[in-house]
Amino acid sequence: MEEYNKEIIDLVVARLQTLPEGVGVSIGSEGDYSKQELISHVEHRDAVGKKIIDAEMGFLRALKEGNFYGDLIGNLA
Amino acid sequence: MATLLATLPKHDQTTRCISAWAKKALDEARKKGFTVFELADKRACRREFESMVKKHKPAFVFLNGHGNAVAVGGNENKVLVQAGENENILKDTVTYALSCQSAKVLGEESVKAGARAYIGYKEDFIFLFDEEKRTRPEDDKLAGLFLEPSNQIAVSLIKGRTAHDSHLNGKKYFARNMQKMLTSQTSKADTTTLRYLYWNMSNLACHGDGNATV
Repeated sequence: MEEYNKEIIDLVVARLQTLPEGVGVSIGSEGDYSKQELISHVEHRDAVGKKIIDAEMGFLRALKEGNFYGDLIGNLA
Repeated sequence: MATLLATLPKHDQTTRCISAWAKKALDEARKKGFTVFELADKRACRREFESMVKKHKPAFVFLNGHGNAVAVGGNENKVLVQAGENENILKDTVTYALSCQSAKVLGEESVKAGARAYIGYKEDFIFLFDEEKRTRPEDDKLAGLFLEPSNQIAVSLIKGRTAHDSHLNGKKYFARNMQKMLTSQTSKADTTTLRYLYWNMSNLACHGDGNATV
């Protein structure tokens, strides 16, 4: 499994901080989590944390590599 | 007229929410003349599921529940369908699974065992919900940003679209909701959905005969 360096953890935590209070996140069979719980899982790099890191980094990479807008427009067509 | 069999477990917040929203698609199926069978709560178990499939031979199986790469669960996450065990129960069906990861292995294996088509997600289905709507998930507009696109897949199949087109229609609705977030005044909660809408859209997959209809 991919290892995540501190820069990535810090970036994902910063993004999770933008989640508003009062919102739950359902991650399949893993359960549902509050913002603070998710941040804790990411900091501990456990299974739930790694899933969230994959989702967050996948989105950021798609933005960086220009795939996001291509995918968005492509699927709207 | 075609028959639809849906599993609707409700043993935790995620299953309560997805099952409440799935019912909206089932209402549409009834309007279109489908015979709809629901396996809710404790009836969403393997014994009932296998029995109903054998008895009614549904053209469309709509699975709602937790899952993994090889299986989809029902009530209390007990396995309903598992690759290597009973994937042939989906033979001759078009199946849509609102469940995590099942398009990774179970989808392909069920097609090898005779399923006409299998639509599902290659990774976990992630969604946000409003904590204040825990007891009324059907009114949760935040969760609806994720679950309406999911319902569109079922509704497209119900309206006679092919499996391939229905899965593309699901992707289109995920994209449409992302576009709304980017181009209109939205709340902070709504804007933070973008990353997970993109995740779900990217992981939606269709196996089998793309031309299959129900």
